[in-house]
Amino acid sequence: MTIVWTNIVFSIVAFVILYILLSKYAFSKLFGIMEKRRELVLQQMDEAAKTREQAVAYVEEQKQALQKAREEAKQIIQQSQATSLNQADKLIDQAKVEAARLKDEAVRDIANEKNKAVEALRSELGSASVRIASKLLEKEVKADGEQEQLVDQYLKEVGGRS
Amino acid sequence: MHEMPIIYLGSIPIDLSAVLTLLISSVIVFVLVMLSVRNLSVDNPSRLQNFMEWVVEFVQGVISSAMDLKKGKPYISLGLTLILFIFVSNLLGLPFSFITEAHEPVYIFGHVIDATKNLTHGEHVELLWYKSPTADINITAGLAIIVFVLMNFLGIKQNGKHYFKHYIEPFPIFLPLNIIENLAKPVALAIRLFANIFAGEVLITVILKLGILSIPFLAVWQGFSIFVGALQAFIFTILTMVYIAQMTIHEEEAH
Repeated sequence: MTIVWTNIVFSIVAFVILYILLSKYAFSKLFGIMEKRRELVLQQMDEAAKTREQAVAYVEEQKQALQKAREEAKQIIQQSQATSLNQADKLIDQAKVEAARLKDEAVRDIANEKNKAVEALRSELGSASVRIASKLLEKEVKADGEQEQLVDQYLKEVGGRS
Repeated sequence: MHEMPIIYLGSIPIDLSAVLTLLISSVIVFVLVMLSVRNLSVDNPSRLQNFMEWVVEFVQGVISSAMDLKKGKPYISLGLTLILFIFVSNLLGLPFSFITEAHEPVYIFGHVIDATKNLTHGEHVELLWYKSPTADINITAGLAIIVFVLMNFLGIKQNGKHYFKHYIEPFPIFLPLNIIENLAKPVALAIRLFANIFAGEVLITVILKLGILSIPFLAVWQGFSIFVGALQAFIFTILTMVYIAQMTIHEEEAH
């Protein structure tokens, strides 16, 4: 292999020129962009982490809200059960009282009516028996005030016994 | 043996094949890089930009394996240029080489090519015009000299007296040994790269002599040569970084 000193010089010159051109026109730009890209990726990852945290917090919040709603619903159901039970008792009591009252009233009415009927029957019976008796006795006791008085007295005795 | 197409301008020898191939690989690297940084974008990188970013990250990895990346930041451009230039140069001679047979003196740009000057009737020389530039020891030596100068310059600049103190350590008697060690670095760099690529091209020439039978061997060897080319570019770059790190970083624990 022959040593040609100009080849050494050429390769040095070519490499140095290439290095200067590339670092001036290409690599500085490329490094800048790469740095920016790195920052962008970091920022996006940061954002993603933050979003995930938010999502987790949100889910936790939702869970708590759901739990609370469930508890409230349970409470409401219990409450309504209690009130309905209460109301039913009250209704039944009321009905019982009403029934008792109605029954009392009816008994009193019946007694009243009975008394009235007895009274009416008694007076009716008195006059009817007087009429029958007077029809029977017309001939004999006519104009005899003493006998009519006797009958009345007797009838009074009968009515007073019943 | 193939001859270099050398012409003399006055007394200055100019190897036309070296000029040609250096120019070609420089232009290829330059165009490749410029294309990849043409439409730089932060959020929507092109495929070439992705490729170039991958190369940059690869070189960053190489540097960070040799030294602290904070200190190594200024050398990323150097490492990138080295690895791209050497890789492209290594591959340049793989697909074909261009050889002419000269039976009489050949003139180019009005100058005679040195190897053909004294040709008499019946003799001929083969001129190798196109090959991998790194298959020429002069060119790998040029690259190694750049590395050698750079690492010693950086060593003196950044390490000061420790750089010189290093030559007489652990004892002053080690001075010649340390000097040889330092000189051996660029020599090893240059010869390793040259020998690998040159051997690859020689073997391609040999395989071609098999005629039609050579096709499978050629396919295998060319594939392997691509691998070797990448590997040698990587080795050259990482050794450069290791040497720079050795020279510039003063280990406090070692003293």
